[in-house]
Amino acid sequence: MAERPTPTTGGEQSDGSGDDGGPIGRLTSRVGSHVAWIDRSLVGLCLASTLVVVLAGFVQVRYGSYDMRIGEVFWAVLDPNVLLDPRWMLNFLVGEDLMRAITGFEGELPELPPETLIVWTIRLPRVFVAVLVGMNLALSGAIFQAVTRNELASPYILGVSSGAGLAILLTLVMYAGLAAYLPIIAAAGGALAFLIVYAIAWQHGTSPVRLVLAGVIVGTVFQSLQTALFFFADDIGVVQTAIQWTTGSLTGVEWEEARIVLPWSIVVVALALAGARQLNVLQLGERTASSLGMNVERMRFGLSGIAVLAASASIAVAGIVSFVGLIVPHVVRSVVGSDYKKIVVGCLFVGPALMVAADVGARLFFPVVMDVQKQMPVGIVTGLIGGPYFLYMMRRKNLGEI
Amino acid sequence: MAQHALQPPAEPPSTLQSRVIDDDRRQRPGAHRQRSDVDRTDEARTDASTFDADGLVIGYPGLDEPVVEDASICLPPGEVTALVGPNGSGKSTLLGGLADQITPEAGTVHVDGTKLTELGDKELAKKLGLLSQENVSPGALTVEELVGHGRYPHRGFFEAMTTEDQEAIDRAISLAGVDHLRERDLGQLSGGQAQLAWIAMVLAQETDVLLLDEPTTFLDLHHQLEVMDIVRTLRDEWGITVVLVLHDIDQAARFADYMVALDDGEVYASGRPGDVVTEELLADVFGVEARVGQGDHGPRITPLRALEDEET
Repeated sequence: MAERPTPTTGGEQSDGSGDDGGPIGRLTSRVGSHVAWIDRSLVGLCLASTLVVVLAGFVQVRYGSYDMRIGEVFWAVLDPNVLLDPRWMLNFLVGEDLMRAITGFEGELPELPPETLIVWTIRLPRVFVAVLVGMNLALSGAIFQAVTRNELASPYILGVSSGAGLAILLTLVMYAGLAAYLPIIAAAGGALAFLIVYAIAWQHGTSPVRLVLAGVIVGTVFQSLQTALFFFADDIGVVQTAIQWTTGSLTGVEWEEARIVLPWSIVVVALALAGARQLNVLQLGERTASSLGMNVERMRFGLSGIAVLAASASIAVAGIVSFVGLIVPHVVRSVVGSDYKKIVVGCLFVGPALMVAADVGARLFFPVVMDVQKQMPVGIVTGLIGGPYFLYMMRRKNLGEI
Repeated sequence: MAQHALQPPAEPPSTLQSRVIDDDRRQRPGAHRQRSDVDRTDEARTDASTFDADGLVIGYPGLDEPVVEDASICLPPGEVTALVGPNGSGKSTLLGGLADQITPEAGTVHVDGTKLTELGDKELAKKLGLLSQENVSPGALTVEELVGHGRYPHRGFFEAMTTEDQEAIDRAISLAGVDHLRERDLGQLSGGQAQLAWIAMVLAQETDVLLLDEPTTFLDLHHQLEVMDIVRTLRDEWGITVVLVLHDIDQAARFADYMVALDDGEVYASGRPGDVVTEELLADVFGVEARVGQGDHGPRITPLRALEDEET
C-alpha cells in the first residue's frame, strides 16, 4: 500500500510529517534515532582525541630516566604476561587485597621483565590517571556551564577549588599527621565549600547569577585564608607540597591514585550521560524547563552535585588542575554544537587528550629540554595552554553572552 | 470532530494548506468561527478540561503588595480565553500563577477538578502547557530538537524517545506549520519563525490546557495571524482549553471566545468579548477614550485619545 499523503487526504493515518522517504524510511529513521545524534563531527573529534591520548601516552611511557626503544615500549605495553593475566590487571585496577579476594590467589604474582614492570607500575598508571582526571574535569566544567548558564564557568566556579585548597593548607600546616588522608580531605573541603556556596545563594530558591556570586564570595574569603596559612608554613617542603596540590600535579601518581578516582569516574560518567537530556532542557531557561515539568531547583542541585563529585575526585588525586574544565567544553562545543548528549561524549575524549598531552609537557619538559631532573605541576602547563586558547577563541568569535 | 484532547487527531494536511492559501478564511474569521461552532458537538466541549482559579493572590518576594489580588476566574472549557489589561496589570503574573510557576500566597487553581499543587511536576506538565513570553535557547538547536524537548514530561529519566513521542513531535511541527524549518537551527530563524517553533514545542507536550504569554507580541502581522490560526485549530480540532495573554485588546476581541480584563491586579470584568469590551472598560482600565462599534466579528475598537492619568 503506497501511502503517500496528499494534500486532500485527511485520514487518521496521514501524520502530515512531510516527505521523509515514506513509511519504511520513517521506520528506519526511528529505529536509528537512538544513535542518530552521533554525527561525523563528534566521531571525528573522538577519534582525533583518542589519537592524541595514544601518542602522548606513548611518549610518556617511552621517555624517562630509563629510556626504551620503540619496539621495547610496544612489547612492554602489550605484554601478554600482564594484559592476559587477570591477576595482574586486578592487582592494578582494584588493588592486591581485592584481587586476592576475587581470584582466591595466594602465591606470589609471576615476575615481569623490567621494561614491563617500569611501564606498567610507574608510567602507565600516570597516563591512566591523567585520562580519568581529564574526563572528570571536562564533564564537571560542561555541567557547570549548563547549570550556571555561563560559558565561563569552570569546575571550580562554585567554590570547590578554594575549599579544597584551604583544606589542603590546613592539613599540611596545622595537622601534618593527617597528610596521608589529603586526597579525601581535599575532596571533602571542596564539597563543603560547594554546600556553603549553595546555602549563601539560597533565598526562595537559587538562580545562576546568585550561585556564581556566592561562589565568588566564598572563593575570595577562602583564598585569603589559604594565603594567610602559607605564612604559618615554617618548612619549604610543606610550601612546595601545598603548591603542588593547589596547582595540580600528577607527579608520583601510581595505581593507588587510579583506584581512588576510578569508581567515582564511572559513577560520574554514567550520571553525566544520563543527565545530558536534563542539561539540554535546562539550556532552554529555567521557566521553560519548569513548565516542562522539571523540578529546576532539585535538578540543578543534583547536576551540580555530579559536577562537584567529578571535580573532587580529580582534586583528590591530581590537586587543583586549572583550565581543563573550562576550555574542554568550549573546544567540544565549537566542534559538535550545543547538544549536551554530544558535548558529554566529546568531553569524555577531549578532556583526557588535553590532560595527557599537558602531562607530557609537565613531566618531560625539564628533563628533555633543559636536562634538569625536575618535574613541573601539570596545572602550570594547562594554564599555559588555556590562556592562549581563550585568546584565540576571543579573536575568532564572540564568546556569546558572558 | 470530537476528539479527546490527549489523543489529538493527525492534522489533515488540508488544514495546513488552507491556512496558507485560504484567503477567504483569513479575511472573514468571523465566518470561520460560526462554522466551527456548528461543527463542534457537545461532546467536544464536555471532553475539554475545566480550568478555574479561586481567590488567587500572587506576589513576589520583596514586594509588599501582591501583584494579583483575589483573582477568581472560571474558564470555559474547550474555548479560547484572552487575558487583557494594560502594562503592569498583572497579566503575566496571573498566568504564571495559573500555571503554578509562581506559588500563590493564597487561593487555588483546579484543572479538571484536581488542585494543581496536588499534581507532581511532570503530571502537571502533561495537563498544562505554558509558553513564556521571552524564550532563550542555544542558537545551535534545531527546530525538531526543540520540539522534542516538549516530550520531557512524558519521558522518564532514563527513557528513550518512543514512536509515540516521535508522532507527537510530527503532529506538533505540522500543526505549527514549521515542517519546512525542521532541520534549521533556531539561531537562523526570524522572530516569527522562532515563535512558531516554540509553540510547536508546547504543542508536543500534548496538554489539555495551554497557556500562552503574549504569543503575538513583536510578531509581524503574517505571523500573528498564523499564531491565532494555530490557536483556533487547537480549540476546534484538539479540544484544548487555551488561555492567552494578549497585548492587543482589538485582537483579543476578535479572536477570543471569552475575555478576562485585569486592572491593577484585580479582575475588572470577564465574559464574552461583546460584553467585556465596552467604552467604559477602555476608559477605566486602559485609560483611553474609544468608540466601540459592532464589527462583523466581535466588537470593533476605535481608539480616540489617551485620557489624563487623573481620570483613569
